[in-house]
Amino acid sequence: MATEIQEIDLKTDEMIINMGPQHPATHGVLRLLLTLDGETVKHVEPVLGHLHRAQEWQGQNRTWFQYQALIDRVDYLSGMFTSWAMARACEQLDGVTVPERAEYMRVIVSEMNRITSHLLWLGTYLIDLGAMFGFPFYPFREREKLFDLLEEIAGQRMMFNYIRIGGVLRDPKPAWFDKLKAFLDEFPDRIDEYETIVTQNPIFLKRTKGVGILKQSVATDYGVTGPCLRSSGIAMDLRRTRPYSVYPDLKFDVITFDKEGDTWDRYMARILEMRQCVDIIRQCVEKIPTGDIMGKKQMAGMRIKAGEGFAAVESPRGVLGCYVTSSGGEKAVRFRWRNPSFCNLTILPELLKGCPLSDIMAIFGSIDIILPDVDR
Amino acid sequence: MTDEAKPEEAKSDAKPEEVKSEAAKPEAKPADAKPAAKPAAAAAAAKPAEPAAPPVPLEPAKFGQFLKEHGISSERLPDSCGVETIVVAADQLEKAMRLLRNSSEIKLDLLLTVTGVDSADTFDSVYHLWSYSHLDQLVVKVLTKKADVAEGELPAVPSLANFWSAANWHERETYDLVGIRYSSHPYLRRILNPWDWEGHPLRRDYKQLVDALNDKNPHSMR
Amino acid sequence: MSNTNPVVPEELRETVTLSSLDLMIDALGQVLSPVLSPIANLARSNSVWPLTFGTSCCAIEMMSVGMSAFDISRFGSEVFRATPRQADMILTAGTITRKMAPALITLYEQMPEPKYVIAMGACTITGGMFNDSYSVVQGVDRIIPVDVYLPGCPPRPEGILDALLKLQQKIRTENYGERRKKMYAQTSVRKVDYDTGRCLEDLIGVVQEDTAAALAKAPDSNT
Ligand code: SF4
Repeated sequence: MATEIQEIDLKTDEMIINMGPQHPATHGVLRLLLTLDGETVKHVEPVLGHLHRAQEWQGQNRTWFQYQALIDRVDYLSGMFTSWAMARACEQLDGVTVPERAEYMRVIVSEMNRITSHLLWLGTYLIDLGAMFGFPFYPFREREKLFDLLEEIAGQRMMFNYIRIGGVLRDPKPAWFDKLKAFLDEFPDRIDEYETIVTQNPIFLKRTKGVGILKQSVATDYGVTGPCLRSSGIAMDLRRTRPYSVYPDLKFDVITFDKEGDTWDRYMARILEMRQCVDIIRQCVEKIPTGDIMGKKQMAGMRIKAGEGFAAVESPRGVLGCYVTSSGGEKAVRFRWRNPSFCNLTILPELLKGCPLSDIMAIFGSIDIILPDVDR
Repeated sequence: MTDEAKPEEAKSDAKPEEVKSEAAKPEAKPADAKPAAKPAAAAAAAKPAEPAAPPVPLEPAKFGQFLKEHGISSERLPDSCGVETIVVAADQLEKAMRLLRNSSEIKLDLLLTVTGVDSADTFDSVYHLWSYSHLDQLVVKVLTKKADVAEGELPAVPSLANFWSAANWHERETYDLVGIRYSSHPYLRRILNPWDWEGHPLRRDYKQLVDALNDKNPHSMR
Repeated sequence: MSNTNPVVPEELRETVTLSSLDLMIDALGQVLSPVLSPIANLARSNSVWPLTFGTSCCAIEMMSVGMSAFDISRFGSEVFRATPRQADMILTAGTITRKMAPALITLYEQMPEPKYVIAMGACTITGGMFNDSYSVVQGVDRIIPVDVYLPGCPPRPEGILDALLKLQQKIRTENYGERRKKMYAQTSVRKVDYDTGRCLEDLIGVVQEDTAAALAKAPDSNT
């Protein structure tokens, strides 16, 4: 033990702080290595892979039919979209035509899924910002209603496995549409309710306005997509810019803001998107034709023609793509996911640079990533 | 068990792949026509009508032509689901990518993914390019022959991460899983697996580690 | 080493030192536990505080069960704690990978006794959907002891409530003296090394050799 008194220099040293992998606000198991200078963030090094479940490896070692059931776990908050991306890629390769009723059903269920995903984001984001455990009760109330509806047709609350290669699994009864309509009628009021609590709340504004501004040049450099990109003023929404399925027949606009977006804009983009989903589902329920729902026979020994294809859908987080290489066998040669969360997370070091410690969660939450989508 | 059975089976599957994909083309087209009609049309218009003759090199289409004008030679592969696919030599990759990204008429400025594929006799590094503003899309491949890779070394491909940030993590991931070394990458380190992981899991010859965490006869705490 | 207490297993004798006060409390606990245990158990079983530990899909159902539709607070477990020091129970909600396993073990070891584990979801019971994956721990019971298995992928929120009720039953029938005997046996399950992520069984040999070598050298360098 040294006893002499040392001179103390008042310069603060940089400090490295480890955040995660078990941290209540990292939405799972992300680990951030923060280099801090006092309260200011100098550098962030995300450490991924704590949830690397080898989804791509599974894709090569499971048959097409088995893997269909697995991919809901790639992005569990919006399982419909992962199924849809895979289904589209395989249908392109295989030359399957999807019946129109199935296409409408796909749009309906995936827009419902988009609402549930945004609702969960809203709830957890408010917790991240310190709204404690009171607020999430509101969005979860509507989430449960949607889950009840989805469960009725898919048979599972979260892992739907409803969109299959060639169509959809089940045809809902007419009564289901009535329940859906009833929900659609009450849901906009509920969004008003959330907005009353949150949107103009002075604390919320203080925490989010002008925080974490995402410049357009940065966004395009890093390949950001989804609501983060649109709130920064680039109107790219696959449903409009590269229309697929029956989206060309539906009326809606791309939600975008005309300036470079901050955290509050990203919040607003998602709120507006939920309202838009309600509109889209309404149109679909009116337009949906009768007919078949499956264009390819589903069986264990299913094969996909040889070749390679890439297909993408607009998931709640951005462009969710799926690159499949098949050799005509029972299994794929290579399965590759293009995950929006993985790509959007790359901007985190850029956004956090120079911001105070307390803003980390506000910015990080607003990107809306989920970890299995990052790590697969 | 499965990973032992995999290499032989996959190898035998992959051989006919090149030939078959050519034959499967006409059927694959109509399915694609609906969802991705516009980009397909652009590529299809330029495509010569000679379905079954793999050895004959295909005429360069829109992007191949563009690269040729700028002095970069590329080889055209059969379209993948209606999207133009080209092969670029490794030493010209960076120049080609800069051109494709920055030139005002092409402007393929969204790098979707960098994929590593362990094919039968090559390591492929596949780049999917889209654009933020228009509908074109392009697949660029860099093929490294397995015969050219020295024993105990990784195939090397130039990195894009220095001028295109989107490539950074994708290249790290490809390095991690498929074992393609992106030379001059700023921080080429494993991203998904632990840093001291051995082997590249998506290789055909990867042998899974078996220990107390995944053996079939666990000494569990049950 | 004055440690002759039978509750500490052979291989841990060198790391654990119990004072005589500890031993006295222990003996007192043994005597009183038949009387005190039922009362303490009833109290404990109705306030099992879970740790907010969720790695993937199952964690979303864990969140749902805390919300108004299922309302886990009816059973006294609504207080999700963010730190292991304040928690009684881990719901291992989600896949545990090799990279995450050391962190889970650390969390488990940081929890104060008595602590309980509910293995939630197929992934944490046997590897489930990710059976054979090179990076997934095939069953969380290989690294920490499990009290209740809760199957499903993901289990429904009602299932979580059911598992909680089962755990409460288990707690009520427990004898604290008995549990204390097993305590060190339970905490000595650290099978994975935190730094290297490798199985500790492989490393034990290495470490023993190293320490033996160091001990052999030590007298020379000191004198
Ligand atoms: S058991 Fe199923 S739902 Fe739960 S973590 Fe595993 S894959 Fe996800």
